[in-house]
Amino acid sequence: MNYSFDFASVFRNFGPLWDGLLVTVELTIAANAIGLTLGFGLALLVMSRFAVIRLPVTLFIEFFRCTPAIIQIVWFFYCVPMLFNVFLGSVTMGILALGLNLAAFNAEAYRASIQAVPREQLDAGVALGLNPFQRILYIVLPTAVRNSMPVLLTNGIGIFQQSALVAIVAVQDLMYQGKTLATQTYRPIETFTIVALFYFAVSFPVSQVVGYLERRREALAS
Amino acid sequence: MSDTAPLVKIEGLHKSYGGVVKVLQGLDIEMKAGDRVVVIGPSGGGKSTLLRVLMGLEQIDRGSVGFGGKPYICANGNGKTTIDAKVRRSIGMVFQHYTLFPHLDVIGNLILAPMKVRGEKKAEAEARAMALLTRFGLAQKAKAYPAQLSGGQKQRVAIARALMLDPKLMLFDEVTSALDPELVAEVEQVILQLAQQQMPMVIVTHDMWFAKNIASRVIFCAGGVVVEDGPPEQVLGSPKEERTREFIERVFHIKH
Repeated sequence: MNYSFDFASVFRNFGPLWDGLLVTVELTIAANAIGLTLGFGLALLVMSRFAVIRLPVTLFIEFFRCTPAIIQIVWFFYCVPMLFNVFLGSVTMGILALGLNLAAFNAEAYRASIQAVPREQLDAGVALGLNPFQRILYIVLPTAVRNSMPVLLTNGIGIFQQSALVAIVAVQDLMYQGKTLATQTYRPIETFTIVALFYFAVSFPVSQVVGYLERRREALAS
Repeated sequence: MSDTAPLVKIEGLHKSYGGVVKVLQGLDIEMKAGDRVVVIGPSGGGKSTLLRVLMGLEQIDRGSVGFGGKPYICANGNGKTTIDAKVRRSIGMVFQHYTLFPHLDVIGNLILAPMKVRGEKKAEAEARAMALLTRFGLAQKAKAYPAQLSGGQKQRVAIARALMLDPKLMLFDEVTSALDPELVAEVEQVILQLAQQQMPMVIVTHDMWFAKNIASRVIFCAGGVVVEDGPPEQVLGSPKEERTREFIERVFHIKH
């Protein structure tokens, strides 16, 4: 191997990478805020008895689940301004695209865990005199949220990584800064190695927490 | 409620699933306050459905159920069933599969309904819960989660949870069927203890020894109707009806 690594030029330019990481984390947090709340609403709607509600929501969810995230981002960035004559800034557009994508995936996680609450648990709730609202609040919700937690967190870290895609629409996230730095320093290998380590340093601890929650849930399940 | 009025009065009860699977086909049962009724019979004969109807968990096709001299459940004829939620609160039920809430510890399971349904204070509910758990030999498990308990312990907690609401009638739906054989006795002991305190109860069980020991009255249910109804010595010992005799013989043959 003749290549000689030179990380020094990257280390000299840590500033932009930090800025980029900050933007990436912001995108992730904002997308998760949308994904966790809107996802729950979508899950309730998709279980509706009324087809008028259920079908459009199903379509929405399946659209985001069945098309590549990169196309969704590009579509939001170029098509939405043209079709609806609104442009909210590239970061906002990125957050919207990522947030809606995450909401679709989270809705499925919520729905699956709500439906996994055994019917007998609700019967017990009736037998104890709890009204329908109390049964949802005290029996279904705690179990469903706990059961969906590992998937929600996994989806959440997924969006942290997926957010790298917004670099193609000029959002100045970690990936964008990495690309710029690679061009400036002529050191793409070193730069992207460092960028990868940035992503890893954030994702890995979170995925460890997910693993811990998963094991604890299995120990408690019965 | 006068002493002579029946505690439970079931009249012309019909229940089907989707109008196709006819489970109960005209039940008439009167139960006095002192009765401990054990319902036996083949699978699919409607025993569990009867309990679920009494608990107000099912819609019915025709007929009515009265409780303590008041109307409780009534079929309106248009496919809707009226269930008096207030009356329902005076009935407790224990299920085959424990149905403890997995996210709450034992004491949390016991105090949830008293606090949310009756508005009881937490300290008060906890004190009553501890007293019940102590009585059932479960005091040291108060802070344990359901997953940390044996089947027998879970079922005793489930019984205690139902008792927290001071029910006037207890329903037991095959509560020992899911248990390992060596854990059955501890649960049956608790129910026998309740029987000694004159708690009215309806029990569905396959355990004929238990049936014989606890029942003041045995009802043999098959094909959605009451085939035989009488004291345990008669129904279990020398049944009048051919179908009852066949069933009893078959059950005891499997047992021995």
